[in-house]
Amino acid sequence: MIISRRATLAGAAFAAAAGLPGIARAQAKQVVVGTWGGDYGELLRQNIDAPLMAPQGIEVLQDVANADPRKTKMLAERQARRGTFDVSCLSDTDMHMMAQQNTLETLDMGRLSRAGSIVPGLRKPYAVPHIYSALVLLYNPDKVPVPPTSFADMWDPKYRGRVGFSDILYSTNTFAAAMAGGGGFGDYKPAEAKLMELRSLDAKVYPSNEALAAALKGEEVWITPMWLARGYMWQKAGIPLRHVVPSEGAYAIVFEAAIPRNSRNKDNGYAYLDAMLKPEAQTAFADRMGYLPTVTDASLPPEIARQISLSEAEQARLRSPDYDYLLRAHTDILDFWNKQFKG
Amino acid sequence: MAALVLPASLLVLLLLVAPMLLLFRISLNEFSPTQMMVEATSAANYLRAVQDPYYRQVLLTTLAVATGSTLLALGLGFPTAYWLARMQGRWKSLATITVLFPLLVGNVVRAAGWLALLGNGGAINATLLGLGLIAAPLPLLYNTGAVVAGIVAVVLPYMVLTLSAVIEGIPRQTEEAAANLGARPMTVFRRVVLPQALPGVAAGSVLVFVLCMNTYASAVLLGGPQFKMMAPAVYDQFVRGNNWPFGAALAFILLGITLVLTVAGSAALGRRYRC
Repeated sequence: MIISRRATLAGAAFAAAAGLPGIARAQAKQVVVGTWGGDYGELLRQNIDAPLMAPQGIEVLQDVANADPRKTKMLAERQARRGTFDVSCLSDTDMHMMAQQNTLETLDMGRLSRAGSIVPGLRKPYAVPHIYSALVLLYNPDKVPVPPTSFADMWDPKYRGRVGFSDILYSTNTFAAAMAGGGGFGDYKPAEAKLMELRSLDAKVYPSNEALAAALKGEEVWITPMWLARGYMWQKAGIPLRHVVPSEGAYAIVFEAAIPRNSRNKDNGYAYLDAMLKPEAQTAFADRMGYLPTVTDASLPPEIARQISLSEAEQARLRSPDYDYLLRAHTDILDFWNKQFKG
Repeated sequence: MAALVLPASLLVLLLLVAPMLLLFRISLNEFSPTQMMVEATSAANYLRAVQDPYYRQVLLTTLAVATGSTLLALGLGFPTAYWLARMQGRWKSLATITVLFPLLVGNVVRAAGWLALLGNGGAINATLLGLGLIAAPLPLLYNTGAVVAGIVAVVLPYMVLTLSAVIEGIPRQTEEAAANLGARPMTVFRRVVLPQALPGVAAGSVLVFVLCMNTYASAVLLGGPQFKMMAPAVYDQFVRGNNWPFGAALAFILLGITLVLTVAGSAALGRRYRC
C-alpha cells in the first residue's frame, strides 16, 4: 500500500477536525497557555509569544478565561492523563491551592536558564513568579484631601456610602477588614464584625474591577482596597487616584506560571516559563500594567519605577498571604462575604 | 419505527443522563478544603441547603422572579401571538422573523445592552440628566426589576412562538360564531379563544418557567453582586468555592423543584382544559 503525501495531509486534517489532538499536535510545536484575556493576554502575545516563542518555532495557543473557571478545569482534569494546559497562569494563592490538589509539576529549575535571576523571596518549587504588586488603599485626592493611612480609615463615618469593593476581590477585601479589626495574615475572624459595621455605613459592592473603576471615575466611590498595579493603570486612564500602603500591613500578590502534571508538551512549557522571565518581557508588563518585575536584572524607566515601586520600608513590610490558612478558610470567607456581608 | 428514536435517545443518555448520575454521586460526597472532596454517602449537603436560611431565600427569590417573569411574558406574549397567528400574507413571515430576532443575540450581549441602557451613565440616565429632569442618576440597575426586564426580553420569543402555533390551530369561525351570537370581544377571548389556547399557554409557560428558573447571565449582570438566584449560587459553589458536593446538591434541588412545579402546573392546566 502506498500512502501519498496528499492522503497523509488529509488524514491529519481529519484527525484535527475529529478532535484527535495527539495526531494533529504532532504536526507543529505548540504550547497551550491558560491565561486571563484583556491586557494580560495581549501583553503575553506582544512580548512573549511573538518575539520570544515564535523564533523557537513554537506556536502559542491561549486558552483565555478568568482564574476560577480555569482552576475548575484543572481540577476536573486532574485524573486525566492529558490535560488542556501546558502552562497555567494564576495568582500565588490560587497556584498554592492547585499545588495542594496535586495538579502541578514540581519544576526542574535546571531546565530554566533564567531560574537564577528570580527574586529569592518569590521562588517556589511548583511555579515561577511572573509579576507582582501590593494591596494598597486607592483614594480620590479631590474628595479625600487628607490622605488615609490605614485600612481602618475606611470606617470613618465621613466616608459613609463612599467606600467601594470589587466583588471578585472578596478575599483581599476581607483581609483589609480583618487587619482593621486587629486580625492578621492568618486570622480573618475579626473581619466579620468590621464588615458588618461597614455594611451599615453603606459600603458598595461592584461586580467587577471594571465596574468599580467606572464608579471611581464617576466619583461614586472615593476609597477602595486594590492592587497598586490596577491603580497605576486607572491613573493612566485619567481616573483621579492616589495610593497609600496601609499601616496595618502590606499584602503582596504574585502572578505565577506553572506546568500542570498532565501537560502534553512539557518541553515547550519550560521554554514558555523561561521566556516569561526575560527582562524585556518583564519591563513591558511594568510599563503597561504597573506590575513589578520578579527578576533581579529587569530595569524600569525611572518615571514608572517611581509610580509603581514600593519604598524600602514598604518592601520590608511586604508579606505573602498565609496560603495554608487561606486554603482552609477560603470557603468560610466566601460564605461570609456572600451570605452575611452582601446578603 | 421505534428504532427511529434510538440515535436521539443514545445521545441524551450519553450527554445528559450519564453526567447527571455522576453529579448526583458527587452531591453525596463531603467537601474538604484541602482535598476538594472526600468519598461519602451522605445527605448532609441537601440538608444544609434546605436548612440554611440564606439558600432558602435564594430559592424563594428564584421562584418569585421565575413566576413573575413567566406571567409577564404570558401577558405580553398573548396579544402578540394572537396578532401573529391571525396575520395573513407575506408580512406574516417578516413578523415571525422580527419576533425571532432577539434570539440571534446571545444572553450576555443582550445583558450588556441593558447595562448600556440602565447604568448610571447609561442612555436613560444620561438623557434625564441632560434634560435636567433629575439631579442624580436613578438606580435602574442592580435590582429585581432590571433582572425581570432582562429575563422577559430573553424568553418572550419562546412564549410568542409557542402560543401563536396553538392559536393558529383555533378555527377563526368559532370566534365569529360567538360574536354573531352577541358575545363582546372580551367574552370571545375569555370563553372561546383562551380555553382553546390553554395547551399553548401550558406549553409556553412551562418552557419559559424552566428557562427563568435557570437564569444566569441576566441575574449576574443585571442583578449585581447582591442579587442571588439559584444558577449563580450553583456556579459560585463550583467555581469560586470549589465546593463541588454542595454545588451539585444545589443543582439537584433546583432541578427537582423545577420539575415538580412544571409537572404540577401542566397537570392543573390539563385538567382545566379537559373540563
